Amino acid sequence: MKRPFFYRKQVRFLSYSILVFVLAFWLTLLVNFFLLLVILLKYQEYQIEYIKGDAIMEELALTDRGYELSEDMGRKLDERKQWAMLLDGAGKMVWSYEKPKEIKESYTLSDMARMSRWYLEDYPVYLQVFEDQIMVTGLPRKSMWKYNIQFPMSWMNYMKRVWFWVLLFDFVWILVLAVIFTRRWSRSREKARIEWIAGISHDIRTPLSVVLGYADALFSSDLKEEQRQQAAVIRHQSLVMKELVEDLNLTSELEYSMQALRREPVCPAVVLREVAAAFLNDAREGELEVEMDIDRQAEGIWVSADRRLLVRALRNLFQNSLRHSGQKATRIRLSLCRERRFCRILFSDNGIGYSREMLRRLNVKKRQRPTQNIHGLGIVCKIIQAHGGKAVFGNCPGGGGVCKIRLWLARTPKSDRRGNQGEAD
Amino acid sequence: MDLYEHRILIVDDEPALQKMVSDFLYKEGYRQVAVAGSCREARGAFEREHPHLILMDVMLPDGDGFGLLKELRQESEVPVIFLSARDEDENRLRGLGLGADDYITKPFLPRELILRISAVLKRVYRARDRQCDDVIWLGDCRIDLGSGVVYRQDPGGEEGVFDKTATQTALTAREYAILKKLAGNRGQIVTIDALCEAVWPEGNYGYENTLIVHIRRLREKLEQDPSRPRHLITARGLGYKLV
Repeated sequence: MKRPFFYRKQVRFLSYSILVFVLAFWLTLLVNFFLLLVILLKYQEYQIEYIKGDAIMEELALTDRGYELSEDMGRKLDERKQWAMLLDGAGKMVWSYEKPKEIKESYTLSDMARMSRWYLEDYPVYLQVFEDQIMVTGLPRKSMWKYNIQFPMSWMNYMKRVWFWVLLFDFVWILVLAVIFTRRWSRSREKARIEWIAGISHDIRTPLSVVLGYADALFSSDLKEEQRQQAAVIRHQSLVMKELVEDLNLTSELEYSMQALRREPVCPAVVLREVAAAFLNDAREGELEVEMDIDRQAEGIWVSADRRLLVRALRNLFQNSLRHSGQKATRIRLSLCRERRFCRILFSDNGIGYSREMLRRLNVKKRQRPTQNIHGLGIVCKIIQAHGGKAVFGNCPGGGGVCKIRLWLARTPKSDRRGNQGEAD
Repeated sequence: MDLYEHRILIVDDEPALQKMVSDFLYKEGYRQVAVAGSCREARGAFEREHPHLILMDVMLPDGDGFGLLKELRQESEVPVIFLSARDEDENRLRGLGLGADDYITKPFLPRELILRISAVLKRVYRARDRQCDDVIWLGDCRIDLGSGVVYRQDPGGEEGVFDKTATQTALTAREYAILKKLAGNRGQIVTIDALCEAVWPEGNYGYENTLIVHIRRLREKLEQDPSRPRHLITARGLGYKLV
């Protein structure tokens, strides 16, 4: 069985949100990972370039002629433009390799402390202690940025406690972003769809005017009866198409709540009479009977509604009854009464009623209302729901279908609260 | 001026629709119909023809009808009926307050269009329609809407012939308004609300009972047997119909 449209829409929206969320999550992870990788690689590069003191010490041999560095290590140090010197316990230089001229040959304790972590004459230096000797290796000026990072322990403890919440915040943030983007994207898709439908229905209406116009002219002409009947069929079907195009447009607008209701105070009794009279005026002799039962109390009640849409809903009910009555004379009973803060409209006919499948589809919950095949009545539900009301369909015990509409009452507009004034000419 | 002497300009970019509407107008009796397919052509035709009424599509290839109307309004008060193919246009028309005289949504029945055109022409130019004068015949009753007098032939008199013996009854202002509304929609049910609106346009809530009184008095003047009306028929719960 096909899933209802509304249900499918929700599922689709949810899947898009999840998809965007997962993508954003992985993308963020990927970016972070990539950045980390780049930094690490760069760091690694420096690690390779810089030859540590112990490696130099291993290649340094004490001979009769003094300290001698292996040729291989010398070449390596040259390649990196690195220099080195060995100080004894008293701070006096005992060996050096490619030492810059400005670097002194003896150092006091305070000199040692000063250069131990940072720079010596702006050369980044690293100190390594070997028994009573100190190996100082230096890199070219401006080749290494050194900074001492330190944090209070209390701060680090605090970080241990909050890292989870920071991550959670990130997670929620990504989720919100995903929803916002998905919503915007799906809104723009919906808008495009509505505009597309509006465009199509616009394009259909002009040629349909010509078809309807000429069919009507042929029907009213002096043609043979058979041809006149054919023209009548074309005219009738064109009118059906007109209704369908209008319904299609309205459905798409109501579906996505894109059409803001133009609410105004509407007197339901007036609208009911207007629609019923229009159908009676258009009907052929004996084709339609309308019984009106408007409660006296209901005469003066008002609802806040989009009049055009309310008329449309009632017209759709009438049309459905006329189309599917299965009777020679369609009898429609319309009643209106007041129920505390609501007004109740009852529309019943003497037709074949609604099938079980149709009732199931018409009376399902709001969000799952399907729109296939029940256009006219589906729109009735949508219009009433858009007004915050409720439309329930059913079958009468004696045959025929019934639609119960419940709408919230509005406050009576003051300008029209004149009462039943007697007057004389 | 005769209704059919008015010049009508049709502005629509669809040639088939232009031809159809102008054919129907000619057939109805209008003798001067001009067509234009764009805003530019419409401006030219307006200068040339000085139409009494413009029938204008909202969407035109070189602009929209609303803009064109705004432009025209600067120099002329010519009545305009919009032909619209989008439901949204109705909202825009209401919202803009451009002073369009009427609008009709596509697709439409030609009869409806012709009726709207003649209604606007009659209202704006007080044009006289040859087919509809101010006299209504209801069986043995002749109602002169011009003077608001009902002439009724005495029973036994020759039907359709009114002589000095015919009784004359004047209509009150309210009765006149009710009868005029019913006569304008003869054969059709006019709802109680529409009748109240016609009689008490300043606010008609709660006048239903008063309307019933007026209808009864009207029947006394029009009907042979007011308790069994033949011309002013009640449509139960809905309104009244003049047949």
